[in-house]
Amino acid sequence: MSDDYENKTGYQAQSSETISSGGSGRSGTASDIDYVRPAENAEQDLYHGHSFITKWVFCQDAKVIGVQYFLLATFTGVIGLILSWLMRLQLGFPGAAGFMTAEHYYQFVTMHGMIMVVYFLTALFLGGFGNYLIPLMVGARDMVFPYLNMVSFWMFFIAVGVLLASFFVPGGPTGAGWTLYPPQTILEGTPGSGWGILLMCISLILFVAGFTMGGLNYLITILQARTRGMTLMRMPLTVWGIFTATVLAMLAFPALLVGALMMTLDKVLATSFFMPTILKAGEVLEYGGGSPILFQHLFWFFGHPEVYIVALPAFGIVSDLISVHSRKNIFGYRMMVWAIVVIGALSFFVWAHHMYVSGMNPWFGFFFATTTLIIAIPTAMKVYNWILTLWRGNIRLNVVMLWCLGFIVTFVNGGITGIFLGNVTVDVPLSDTYFVVAHFHMVMGIAPLMVIMGAVYHWFPLVSGRFLNETLGKWHFWITFLGAYSIYFPMHYLGFIGVPRRYFEMYDSPYVTSAVGMNEFISMAAFIVGAAQFILIYNIIKTLKTGKPAGHNPWQANSLEWLTPSVPPEHGNWGEKLPVVHRWPYDFSVPGAKEDFITQTTPPSEVIETEVEKT
Amino acid sequence: MSNLLNKLFGTLLDKPWDKEQATIDNAHEGKTFDLSVQKSAVLIIFGIATVLFSLVFTSYLYTLSPSQDTNYLLRPNLLWINTLILFFVTYFFNKVTKDLEKKDTSKIKKNLLIIGGLTYLFLFGQIIFWFQLLKSGNYVSTNSYFANFYVFTALHGLHLLGGLFFWGKVSSKVLKLEQNKILEQEKNISALSIYWTFLLIVWLMFFLMIYIFNDSFIAWCKSLIS
Repeated sequence: MSDDYENKTGYQAQSSETISSGGSGRSGTASDIDYVRPAENAEQDLYHGHSFITKWVFCQDAKVIGVQYFLLATFTGVIGLILSWLMRLQLGFPGAAGFMTAEHYYQFVTMHGMIMVVYFLTALFLGGFGNYLIPLMVGARDMVFPYLNMVSFWMFFIAVGVLLASFFVPGGPTGAGWTLYPPQTILEGTPGSGWGILLMCISLILFVAGFTMGGLNYLITILQARTRGMTLMRMPLTVWGIFTATVLAMLAFPALLVGALMMTLDKVLATSFFMPTILKAGEVLEYGGGSPILFQHLFWFFGHPEVYIVALPAFGIVSDLISVHSRKNIFGYRMMVWAIVVIGALSFFVWAHHMYVSGMNPWFGFFFATTTLIIAIPTAMKVYNWILTLWRGNIRLNVVMLWCLGFIVTFVNGGITGIFLGNVTVDVPLSDTYFVVAHFHMVMGIAPLMVIMGAVYHWFPLVSGRFLNETLGKWHFWITFLGAYSIYFPMHYLGFIGVPRRYFEMYDSPYVTSAVGMNEFISMAAFIVGAAQFILIYNIIKTLKTGKPAGHNPWQANSLEWLTPSVPPEHGNWGEKLPVVHRWPYDFSVPGAKEDFITQTTPPSEVIETEVEKT
Repeated sequence: MSNLLNKLFGTLLDKPWDKEQATIDNAHEGKTFDLSVQKSAVLIIFGIATVLFSLVFTSYLYTLSPSQDTNYLLRPNLLWINTLILFFVTYFFNKVTKDLEKKDTSKIKKNLLIIGGLTYLFLFGQIIFWFQLLKSGNYVSTNSYFANFYVFTALHGLHLLGGLFFWGKVSSKVLKLEQNKILEQEKNISALSIYWTFLLIVWLMFFLMIYIFNDSFIAWCKSLIS
């Protein structure tokens, strides 16, 4: 918190919800229906970089920070992808990768999981899209604490550095599984139980500390620094999704922090927060009195909201993409906002459905199964509303829309298997099988990834001023979509026949005959899907050089990010004057309007003949 | 509280597509709460810190076993004096806040210095107590009671150091200001004030917990059941 922020920005405490019905303060030239409150807040004084270092490296512009987050998260994600290739190589063709031992396999599984969930998806949605879009969409010049925002990114950078450093320390990275369950995580015999787990914990602590700085910015910018006329219920659903996900992150990440901190102490100072009395080779270890189950509670108190920290921004973004590209207002906007808030709240009451086989009291299982299934209600509401938005819309079947449709189908698929696993009696036999792996990859891997892809094709013209190539985009989509289903549909079957997850090799188990061909097929599909992602990287590089110029508002969207004076937007976003908002961002195909969209800044007097349909 | 809930949830009933609602919304200034950004930041930090310390408390209760010797901590010791110091800090912050409300800036500088001095004294006292504990043979790995004690006091100390960092920034600015310009820093000072009040509350919660939920209490509970 900058103590001299007040002086720099001139923000003044004032009655926030005071509604003026006219009278004093009205402009003599503005018509009554175009009335807006006069600007009362002084302008935010921004630090503009003058050198390459201050403009592009240690930069305080949220948009640059967003791109930095995006690039670093993508780099980390590519490492996660390569690790998954290595795992699939071993599973499909055991022994093909000569160097790979069982220890390596466990390390790759662990690092793949943690990288993809925390350092790729979370960082990309909140750090990447959050930073780029929040100030633009709410009509602010920047985040409220730009310096803190910059520090947040560099904390993330260090966290990634520490995490990747674990590949180069004695013993390598931790191989305890991405859930890092003690006691085996820190005991000899587990790969990376020395330096590996230590660096993982330190990296997570740094990540949480850095994210808290960023999250503080997202929340206060959304709550307190919107432009005139931008009420909470006029915000695009993208902002609602990121806002609620940030609240979840701020409440859930402390659990990860406490877990990582206590595990570090168990490792370094021989405390016993998570370590029970252990007999090893006839000798009692120095530990005793701790509880491994406590770690599971802490981990999943973070871990389940984490699913929604990834999913809620995806829900928000996909809602906006569908609305823009089907030229219809989002069906049931209020319901969509409620659903986001309700899902966020419920996500804190379901964590123990990850622990049905931990030996908990059956009544707890009953409680957590019930809360888990209740979440299906607001989630289903959202799916229906996306479909009803598409219904009779003027659908543009471009690459962005393809990714959105791919998301809806994939999310429904992954969601339905979640209903299976939410029930204790179904979960117990399926626990620790490939059914679980297939479920969570569909619902929180592939589905959010499809939204990310759609969002990249949608907002790239804003970031770069150029359209990505549609043909390449369609190849990218179809290979990814069909390939992902080739991977994960058969994987459900493997789970049903009982193939356990986390096994390095099946050896002579009875699963071999029925699973071996399928494992080869899945691995081949995984190689192809992974390779297809490089089409996007090629497309981006090609577009930056020779892409078709996009100009202003190329998708004919309504929300503020497309209405900046320059494309790409400059530092400060809005030129001399902040925008003034007169409507919500979903006025598409409004009867009586000249065009099929009315931007948020269009005053009522310019569209006097229009009549917005009730929804 | 009802105002807060109304602002948070009442707004979810708005129909932004309605013309009547649009007329109201057009006059909105864009802020949700009547708070400075500094106070907003402090309140959000409280939320995060509350979750963090609640989890530490929960872990403490989860892992506490009745076989642990907690007598050393339960005897009268330096912690009581440190607690008293924190009370004094809050008292002086209260004075500063009241003076600011009355626009009386004559004692602000002096009281801010006292607050900083007392806070450093508290931290110093905590470190001395750590040394006393170590000297008595109660290490962080001795048992979960002491492990939690060390972790909590370390986290609380870090939280306090964060506050002292901003206290330093605000105080250095205030000390350079002329008497009549101190009111310009009112929002920063009041944000610091509520930060310290929160620190006291967290400390008291923990202080009560170690004196109530210890092995003797668990033994007493067990005797009731048996």
